[in-house]
Amino acid sequence: MDNGTSNSASENETITLKSCDGIEFHIDARIANRYTLLNNWNGGESACIPNVNGKVLEKVLEWCEHHINDPQLNCGDDDSRRRNTIIEEWDENFLSCDQDMLFEIILAANYLEIKPLLDLGCKTVANMMKSKSPEEIRSAFNIDNDYTPEEEEQFRKENEWAEDY
Amino acid sequence: MPSKIFMGDMPELMENILDNLNNEFYSLYSCALVSRHWCKMSIPILWQNPFSFDHNSLFISQYFSSLDENDSLVLKEYGINAIVTNTLFNYARFLKVLNLLSLEKKVKKWIDIQAVNSKPSTSSIYHTINFLFKLFVESGATLHKLDLYSDYEINPEIFYSLGRNEPFFSRLQDLSLCLSDLNTENAIALLKILAKNATKIGALKIDKFYSDYYEPQLLHAVICIIKSQEQLGQFSLVGGEEFHGIISALESQNNSLKEVTIKFCECSTEFKVLMNCKNLETLRINDCLNEEILEASLNTLEINSYTIYVSNIVQILTKSGTLLQRLKLVSTDEQTKEEPLLLETLKSSCPNITYLNISDVGLSTQFLELIGNLQKLQFLTLWYIGDMLDDEPEIQVMQFAKQLPLTLQYLDLRYSEIDSYIDTLLNNCYAPLKYLLINRLDDEKMSKALVEFCIRKRTLNYMGVSIDLDDNIKRKVEGYVTLVPCERIVVNC
Repeated sequence: MDNGTSNSASENETITLKSCDGIEFHIDARIANRYTLLNNWNGGESACIPNVNGKVLEKVLEWCEHHINDPQLNCGDDDSRRRNTIIEEWDENFLSCDQDMLFEIILAANYLEIKPLLDLGCKTVANMMKSKSPEEIRSAFNIDNDYTPEEEEQFRKENEWAEDY
Repeated sequence: MPSKIFMGDMPELMENILDNLNNEFYSLYSCALVSRHWCKMSIPILWQNPFSFDHNSLFISQYFSSLDENDSLVLKEYGINAIVTNTLFNYARFLKVLNLLSLEKKVKKWIDIQAVNSKPSTSSIYHTINFLFKLFVESGATLHKLDLYSDYEINPEIFYSLGRNEPFFSRLQDLSLCLSDLNTENAIALLKILAKNATKIGALKIDKFYSDYYEPQLLHAVICIIKSQEQLGQFSLVGGEEFHGIISALESQNNSLKEVTIKFCECSTEFKVLMNCKNLETLRINDCLNEEILEASLNTLEINSYTIYVSNIVQILTKSGTLLQRLKLVSTDEQTKEEPLLLETLKSSCPNITYLNISDVGLSTQFLELIGNLQKLQFLTLWYIGDMLDDEPEIQVMQFAKQLPLTLQYLDLRYSEIDSYIDTLLNNCYAPLKYLLINRLDDEKMSKALVEFCIRKRTLNYMGVSIDLDDNIKRKVEGYVTLVPCERIVVNC
């Protein structure tokens, strides 16, 4: 049975990845083995990972390296199980970066199909919204309110039941 | 500048973020009020499962916004004055989870508010339930989860609607049935529609299965549901002595079935079919008889029983062997019978266990050897160990602590008297524990040992204590470890 830790690459093998701004990273081949898309950019002189700059790629690879021995979840694993687990302290510290970097990590994880990091990033952002008022969320994420007063009033009326908590 | 995730460029990412707020009703309400785009993204999640909302049933009024004059008059006859307005969304379309029992409870509450001056009649309640059920079917909603636990009479009109609205069940992933609650004729009609339209069910649960009382057509309809699935992964059955081919029907899912849970079942030869399910990984058995008949190679085995007879499960443990990673064996009434046989079997056949939850074992040399032998053990929960301690409990606990493998991260001692000697355990433990659950931490000696362990190992992140801590002790340990409610860190098998 595959528990996700039996990568075929050995511990000493490394591969080279290049960010879109030309920074090279030599990483444990077992990391690339876990995430197919990383493997696709292995080695080639001119093979750069588009859309991910060196600063962000460094963070993403740091996360991958820390979690190299984690069991891999199957596609069919229950979502609620994933959602109910608390965020590990290391991950919490890892994502305690500035908001721009947090969103860049989420975009990179999405682009590189690193699902556990994507889910972790999304969960971190969701936690930033929990129990906040609309004004607090707008201010936290710099969003403008484009409702007309009438629309807002009607929306509140139809959904006021959910205000009760 | 706001992130492009929030501006509409990447709706799938925003959806992933908001999905984490599922059932956080106030948070979703707030998100929906942030801007128009946020509203468009949040509202479908807010309205996925409103019947699970604990605080009120006011949302039901919004479903009546699309009433035509005729429906409005019919409701009026039952004393319900629904106010018809144009709403911003067709909220019924967003429904993903329908639990008939919750629907019934919420409708009763809602009608209580509507008809303040008169006692609502049963017929008005059932009429409203049927009205809503039909509305959901016809709204374009596609259910993901359906719980049929209710004894109300489903209006035949709904079966007609279901026949014309195939998408309603077409994405159903999770179905729970309580056959004894349903009127037989209705149940047969509904199950036939489910067998035809719901072919993507991943998890099927059949509750209160008393086959002696059921019509053959009903049992046949259940078999049809099982056989019509493309990839049934989880199957759960509560109750039963005769199974009339229901268990045998699982043969049709022998490539996809991964998890089987049985409770209060008298296992018969029908269960031999599980041997052919080559991807079966998990078996959970709760208070069943004849479990010795079960044969499978498993990754996860959970048995909760009044009494565990080890000779009945040796075969399955041996067959699972090195595959077995997660094991729970908890006897709730009498002590496990033939403990030495259990310990010997686990030691010789199952070295790859990473999760062990076990009751009633003594801290014997044999048990300590087993623990020392499990070199991949990460999670350990012990139940009812207190009675097993002999005249020198501290020495036993010390020996136990020294045997804990260096892979162990999680130790749950809430139901074990070992936590009375937690200071001895922590002073002698080399395992890099990240999570520790105990019942109490109520003296200086214990808190001192905890702090010293935190300083020495630097691994313990979270601690759950069942009984409220004294403020002084709390202050003392809080700088070294995060105290959290036990239920937040409990790891199930």
